[in-house]
Amino acid sequence: MGSDSAERKLVREAQRGSREALTDLYAAHWRRAHRAAYLVVHDGAAAEDITQDAFLAAIDALDRFDRRRPFGPWLHRIVVNRAIDWSRRETLRRTVDDADSHADASPSPEAVGEDLMAALGQLPVDQRAVVVLRYLLDYRPGEIGRMLELPRGTVNSRLRRALDRLGDLLGEAER
Amino acid sequence: MNEDRLRALLREAPVPGAEEAERRGRRLAEAAFEQRQPHRPQRPAWPRLALSLAAATLLAALLLTPAGAKVRDWVDEALTVGVDDAEPALTEIPGGGRLLVSTPQGSWVVQPDGSRRLLGGYPEATWSPRGLFVAAVSGHMLSAVEPDGTVRWSLSADAPVTDVRWSPSGVRIAYLTTTYRTGSTLRVVAGDGSGDMLIDGNVGPAAPTWLPLGPHLLAYVDGEGMLRVINSDTGETVGSSPASRDAVELDWARDGSRLLEATSRALRLRDVAVGKLAARLSLGPARRVALPIDATVRTAAFSPDGRSLAVLLQRPARDRQPAHSELYLMDREGTSQRLLFTAPGLLSSLDWSPNGTRLLIAWPDADQWLFIPTEGRRVRAIGGISREFAPGSPERAVFPLIDGWCCQR
Repeated sequence: MGSDSAERKLVREAQRGSREALTDLYAAHWRRAHRAAYLVVHDGAAAEDITQDAFLAAIDALDRFDRRRPFGPWLHRIVVNRAIDWSRRETLRRTVDDADSHADASPSPEAVGEDLMAALGQLPVDQRAVVVLRYLLDYRPGEIGRMLELPRGTVNSRLRRALDRLGDLLGEAER
Repeated sequence: MNEDRLRALLREAPVPGAEEAERRGRRLAEAAFEQRQPHRPQRPAWPRLALSLAAATLLAALLLTPAGAKVRDWVDEALTVGVDDAEPALTEIPGGGRLLVSTPQGSWVVQPDGSRRLLGGYPEATWSPRGLFVAAVSGHMLSAVEPDGTVRWSLSADAPVTDVRWSPSGVRIAYLTTTYRTGSTLRVVAGDGSGDMLIDGNVGPAAPTWLPLGPHLLAYVDGEGMLRVINSDTGETVGSSPASRDAVELDWARDGSRLLEATSRALRLRDVAVGKLAARLSLGPARRVALPIDATVRTAAFSPDGRSLAVLLQRPARDRQPAHSELYLMDREGTSQRLLFTAPGLLSSLDWSPNGTRLLIAWPDADQWLFIPTEGRRVRAIGGISREFAPGSPERAVFPLIDGWCCQR
């Protein structure tokens, strides 16, 4: 999105029923939201589902949306919180399920061929989420804290631990 | 870790299927946008307050004065739900075919001319694929019954039997046994009553569904929320994928290329590719069908030719619109959606006519069955349904359940 005022205009026009405005909002936000979901959940189908769900919720709430607020953070908050919920449920499920049943659905980090994905996959989901919000979506720790309902100090400590761990893991991969 | 390098890695990491996901998401978003009902501006509060006071005064008059009694009758009449020009009795099945209907007294077969026969004391039943038999359930007992009531065979399970599904070939029957303590198990028995065997000792609440063509492949959701497809002849799992743990309904399109999963809040469709000799089956990612965000999914079913999907939704009261039900007809992708029928209150049950030209919906509050054409023609409503299946009963009878609409004979 070029500017906040342009985005506010798109939201206003979409509220008035402009399909073109909706298409523009979608084009402006889908890819980053979908990428964020994928980097948290590491599952293509789940990431798609979570992002769709967030957009459907946004469309349903469009008429009640306060145009003075930016659209992106509101959408990202839904996406990342749902991605965290999904990952927690999936972790619980994996503790009772056989490993090969998941091989069908979620591409392994190795299959994706990225050291980063493998390293991210080794972080707890809470740390993955703050890394994605900070370094993919460029939110400040205070903003992340409001999105995830966490103290800013907690966000900072999670970021610190995540960066240290990623450094170790990616350093090992490069050796 | 260098923060700039991390930013670059996060932005460049490949996301599998991103373009296809974006296209699917756009179609969904556009469909949801078309369906949304923009909120109208609120009227000033004082006229609503005045109307409320007037309504309260009228209500008091209705409740407290003798003259109000007559008016109360008129109001009751005006509020009666149902299609106005409903036919008073079931004298034919619009669209032909035969119906299987369950009541507390047992299962009934309804012939194309509306005549009906009580099969026996079976609270649940399902047609065989060509309508030559009925698989009927009574407690722990599963029986194969001819439409004239003759029992061909019975077996006794170790727990109450539910959710019986006859395979399209006619030679296998899948069913669940359920106890409160141990949950549900999935079993399969041959069409002649032989070879009863356990398939899975821990399954979810959704009834299993057979692949409509080819080998005996059966899809179900296990107790851990995995969608599994199993070859019931070999016991081999040929495909699996995480599904919704709370899936309540599965349906396979006639050509086998789509599988529907329904929860109370969502519908998901996934592509299915059956490999050579059906030794392996590929389940694609589940794609969510755009539905109104406040909708509860009552039921959904593919048409007999597999090209359409009928979906029955329940919507809560919102703004000035009362709680109501909506029947949609969708294409097989769930993207093109058409509202076929809407009614206040709760609609239940959804069955396609054998030729795929009509849908049969039950409207219990109105005591009506609705035969709704998918194209053009008018809705035919049949009233007094409860009494049709409780002959001689002096008090109001229980509204029956529709167990299936089968082929012509």
